[in-house]
Amino acid sequence: MTDARQQPGAAPKLEIRHLHKSFGALAATQDVNITVQAGELHALIGPNGAGKTTLISQISGELMPDSGHILLDGHDITRLPAFKRASVGLARSFQISQLYNDFTVEDNVAMAVQAQSSKRFSLWSAARKDPSLREPAREALERVGLADRANLRVSELAHGQKRQLELAIALSLNASVLLLDEPMAGLGAEESRRMKDILLGLKGQYAILLVEHDMDIVFALADRITVLVYGKPIFTGTPEEVRSNAAVRDAYLGREE
Amino acid sequence: MTRKNLVVTLIFAILLVLPIVANVSHNSFLVNMGTQFVIYALAAISLDLVLGYGAMVSFGHAAFFGIGGYVVAIVAFHMGQGETIMGWAGSESALAIWPLAMLVAAFVGLVMGFLSLRTSGVQFIMITLAFAQMLYFVLVGLVIYGGDDGLSITSRNILPGINLDDPGIFYYVCLALMTLWVWICRRIVNSPFGMALRGFQQNERRNVNLGYAPLRYKLTAFVISAAGTGLAGALWANYALYASPDMAAWLKSGTLMAMIVLGGMGTIYGSILGAAVYLGLEQALTAWTENWMLFLGPVLILVVLFSKRGLFGWLAGRNSHD
Amino acid sequence: MYLFVEQAMNGLQYSALLFLLSAGLTLIFGIMNVVNLAHGSFYMVGAFCAASAVAITGSFGVAMLAAIVGAGAYGLVVERLIISRLYHRDHLDQVLATLGIIFFTNALVTLVFGRSPPFVAIPPLFSGSVQIMPGLGYPVMRLAFIGAGVVVAVGLWLLISKTRIGMLVRAGADDAETVEALGVNIRRLFMLVFTLGALLCGFAGVMAAPLLAVEIGMGEKVLITTFVVIVVGGVGSVRGALLGSVLVGMTDSFGRAYIPIWMSQLLPPEYSDSVSSSLVSASIYILMAIVLLVKPRGLIPAQR
Repeated sequence: MTDARQQPGAAPKLEIRHLHKSFGALAATQDVNITVQAGELHALIGPNGAGKTTLISQISGELMPDSGHILLDGHDITRLPAFKRASVGLARSFQISQLYNDFTVEDNVAMAVQAQSSKRFSLWSAARKDPSLREPAREALERVGLADRANLRVSELAHGQKRQLELAIALSLNASVLLLDEPMAGLGAEESRRMKDILLGLKGQYAILLVEHDMDIVFALADRITVLVYGKPIFTGTPEEVRSNAAVRDAYLGREE
Repeated sequence: MTRKNLVVTLIFAILLVLPIVANVSHNSFLVNMGTQFVIYALAAISLDLVLGYGAMVSFGHAAFFGIGGYVVAIVAFHMGQGETIMGWAGSESALAIWPLAMLVAAFVGLVMGFLSLRTSGVQFIMITLAFAQMLYFVLVGLVIYGGDDGLSITSRNILPGINLDDPGIFYYVCLALMTLWVWICRRIVNSPFGMALRGFQQNERRNVNLGYAPLRYKLTAFVISAAGTGLAGALWANYALYASPDMAAWLKSGTLMAMIVLGGMGTIYGSILGAAVYLGLEQALTAWTENWMLFLGPVLILVVLFSKRGLFGWLAGRNSHD
Repeated sequence: MYLFVEQAMNGLQYSALLFLLSAGLTLIFGIMNVVNLAHGSFYMVGAFCAASAVAITGSFGVAMLAAIVGAGAYGLVVERLIISRLYHRDHLDQVLATLGIIFFTNALVTLVFGRSPPFVAIPPLFSGSVQIMPGLGYPVMRLAFIGAGVVVAVGLWLLISKTRIGMLVRAGADDAETVEALGVNIRRLFMLVFTLGALLCGFAGVMAAPLLAVEIGMGEKVLITTFVVIVVGGVGSVRGALLGSVLVGMTDSFGRAYIPIWMSQLLPPEYSDSVSSSLVSASIYILMAIVLLVKPRGLIPAQR
């Protein structure tokens, strides 16, 4: 578990420059500029409809921006097809869990392991019996606490367990940048605590862009926070700076003195 | 032994002893029926690979069936005329012709798949249908090869040391090939490639997110599937000693799909059952009434609406799928 | 010159037939997201009902009523029993279930009406020809067909753009879930749209009966072409169906007339016949493949 934090002043791991995206008359992303350093946990907050998921989708390649650039390690990946982004080290988890419903829990994670393995085009070997694919999957399940459910089908999982699985899949991609879209969505108190511990454990090892609504989590985990309102970033700073910023309070946090 | 394995063993056991039963009961017709089952099963299994595991609803697979048949028929035709085929003297050997049929079908599958996979959903269904229709009309227009009437073949291809003219022996050869293809397809669907392909069927968005390249997997599966269907076509032409454009008609594609669904989609083994049930029903009911479709139509509808797991799913239980 | 005009008229007549069939089909696919292979079967039912009505009563007017009512009623029954269960299923299920309907309907019609294709004479009102150009006569029946197509096109346009039902249809083509969420009985809307489609098919059947062969399987022959029309024109929009019908009808008609001529000029005789006959039949599929590869959603699809 290496600490990936960079020297101050080093080039950012992930950089978004002047990103714009409109759907007809709706400007979903307006001149967004964000940097995420290696080892940094950068949170993205804002009211519903602020365009957070749209932004994540552009970084992960599902949507193409109208203008602007997305750089990973200095390389321009703005127009890179979605299926190639995992191989440059980008992992994205979804707000609504995207799982293989007919496969088992372990199968699901193994799919992520396999995707980066040289064996992924093999037409002949038995995938479910390959230790090089199954071992890392089991380890990832241990990390998120799902090891005892490895052989269940996804349809048999509770919502919270699906969110854990969603995270386990992202962690198995050998990524250097994690885009986490509301990993806590729909979790109960106990599950939230467990997820918070897992996320804390990830700090420093990846460049993380985290979209979340749970303010306790955000303020506890984030190194920096960007506040997005109507597709526009209105402030970027440390948690203390964000908490004390008047514009942010008006727009989002509310006057909850 | 699991229930699924039991059912599979039973299926192959029945197929294995079929000619013996036929001999004993002096019913050579049974062997003919069996040969038809097995050949269609080979085609259905190939289509199940893309339909049941890759969610590619190809309405054009009959094209490959037709190609396989016509490769056999055209070579036989030119040899019969004493002509060469673009400089090649031709061959009667199954070891040359059957792989050739698979190769031609695979090549057409490559072109057709590459173009069709640029679309998805209903457009994919329609464009695969369009390509198959184009081939159908080309075959109908090829008057020198019989056009609408089709092309007769004087004798079956030759395998060294084996008399393919004997119905029982020919049946066993077809059964062996079908069994081999089943084995190959089973390995494919449980391989990393197969898991990735099934990933596209279950959640394409997630699959792309993990880094699987859609075209590479889908096209490869499509080409393999085309080759298998082409082999089935070649075997059919040998069986019937005849090839006609109907082999490539869109209703033939529909028939293959119906077999897959009746037997159980996405199981490979189900296609064997499906072919047997479809053809068996056709035989049994045609003897009774010319309008056997009066019953098959509703059966198909009922299976689709209420029991997608098909016959194999019903027999083999919950774990019939992989 | 005469060949050109005549082929253009034939093309228009074929386009009229295709429009009658595809307008309903595109709405069914666009609004209900159902791939309905059985659409051609309603056309066949209409044609057979018309033929029987003419054989029994001798009146084309009765035949028209019989065709529309027969096809519409059958369509309604099919919708209630089968199609309504397919709305939330994937396209494969729909393809297979409606394939089953084709098989069944072919057998049913054979049972009820018999196998021999009935003959429907051109009604006296539409018999004879008319001079559409000095020196060129054109059959009135075909002109009537084109006229019927135009009337239906105008009628559908009025229905869709000027009535409340039409507004619901347009909204449904755009976003059926929202329409449902707004309290509209979406099931009743779907039933209406489907039955309307079947009615149009019945009408197409009676108009086509004097001109084309009325036989088992006539539905399948035209079904694929109908799908080509809606895929080319754009799914869900009646304007797309109109554009697609004209494009496909004209391509087919001019292809039939001119491809053999061109091929005989380009190729030696032993090849030109085969090539031209294949090209003629394949022409509309080549058109569709080109459109799909350039504009995958068709030329003027409904917004989605």
